[in-house]
Amino acid sequence: MTLPARDPGRVVAVVSPAFEGLFRAEYARVVGIAHRVLADQAEAEDVAQDVFISFYRGHPADAPYARAWLHAAAAHAALNAVRGRDRRSRREAALAMPPDATAAVDDPAETVAASETREEVRAVLARMPERSAAMLALRYAGLSYAEIAAALDVRASSVGTLLRRAEDAFRRELR
Amino acid sequence: MNDTDIERALGTTEPHVNADDALARFQARVQTEGIAPVVPVARPRVTSRWLRGLAAAAGVVIVASALTLSGVAESVLKIFEPKSVVAVPLTQSDLNYLGQACAGLNLQECMGAYGTFEWTAPPQPKEVNSRSQASAQAGFTALAPTTLPSSVTGDPRYGVINRSTATFTFSADSTQQAAARQNRTAPPLPANIDGSKLFITGGPAVVQIWGAPAGTPSASGAYPDVPTLVVGQAKAPTVSSDGVTVDQLRAYLLSQPGISPQLAAAIRAIGDPSSTLPVPVPAELAISHPVTVQGVQGLYVGDNTGIASAVIWQKDGMMFEVIGSFTESQALAIANSMR
Repeated sequence: MTLPARDPGRVVAVVSPAFEGLFRAEYARVVGIAHRVLADQAEAEDVAQDVFISFYRGHPADAPYARAWLHAAAAHAALNAVRGRDRRSRREAALAMPPDATAAVDDPAETVAASETREEVRAVLARMPERSAAMLALRYAGLSYAEIAAALDVRASSVGTLLRRAEDAFRRELR
Repeated sequence: MNDTDIERALGTTEPHVNADDALARFQARVQTEGIAPVVPVARPRVTSRWLRGLAAAAGVVIVASALTLSGVAESVLKIFEPKSVVAVPLTQSDLNYLGQACAGLNLQECMGAYGTFEWTAPPQPKEVNSRSQASAQAGFTALAPTTLPSSVTGDPRYGVINRSTATFTFSADSTQQAAARQNRTAPPLPANIDGSKLFITGGPAVVQIWGAPAGTPSASGAYPDVPTLVVGQAKAPTVSSDGVTVDQLRAYLLSQPGISPQLAAAIRAIGDPSSTLPVPVPAELAISHPVTVQGVQGLYVGDNTGIASAVIWQKDGMMFEVIGSFTESQALAIANSMR
């Protein structure tokens, strides 16, 4: 394969129009799913880039399963990223993280508490069964039951039940 | 904690993204790292590789399907014996996943990703001189087609494969290690599956192969690379289990990362997994549909060009397959002429 000439000042369109369309249509959604897990936009965007690279390498842009694949991959990749974090780095990241997971607070003590809560949330997601954690990430990123069913390959009629179980497990774990 | 609390815990602020910038980053990375997109699947020309691959797939399915579908038993009981066949579409996604999982590995090593696979009696194919010899060694009457298309000429060659047995022992450690090597997280192996065993038998089998296309005899007499017709017949494979159930194994299989929604749906749709042999069919390369052959329901598999065909069916405890460069009607005529 011959790549277009490289020009540091300009990015040449190297992907097909179909892939570009898919990327533009789904990028925000993929970031949103990863963000629900990671609570860090920069990290979520890195995950999204990796997810699209994986898809680009292995799948045609017009594949009928493209959206479902991207959604599921975003959740799983983000959960893998959380599990891969070192406990210490998680804590450091939490303290440096903008408090976008809770209401804005001015009190430094509350900010620290909020950050710790976010980290506990990530730890809970990391401990939960993969499908349950992914289901929460997808649902709270705004996916419909039908979209969740397609992404996680469960019956649409089962999503409500599975989601309730995931939420119950999440509450129990978070205390 | 109510739903609102969960929503708050999981973050309520939507990230603001700039898709243009993100796409530019993506394209720059593709360029910088020289990342190539998946090659679009062209309508494939039928090649010897395709035919050999299909024949190999039909053989491997005996073991592969046995490992993916097992059954119910309190002790060692026969829990899988196919009474029918069904196509299971493998998407490019599944093939990529399997390719990653088994890159550079043979079947035995690949199955090692989930536990220990051991041949207790490995398959040892050998050639014999006649159909009667093949029948005598296999222990059953090898059927042969009585009607052949004009493109199939000459005498067939005969191969016999002995009755083969293998044991597979599930291992949670192996599963986790294999997933870690792929930078993935495998779902936990249920405790009652960890350490349990499957006992697999396949064959004996007889294979009859017709050689080069008409008009192109091999001058050297060497065995042609591209058989025009392959007819296979084997005792139906069986699987016994020392405790794992069909539902447990199916649920575990479906929870694996990388299983496409299409494949999962197809596996889930199998009504009775203890008696249905799933035949993997590359979804982008081939078509398949049920057919009636020899009075039973079988499976037709053809490549997208309509040039190569395979018919697979099960009858009276035997598995049959007819593979070659035929149209569907020709392949069915051959299959129905087997006596």
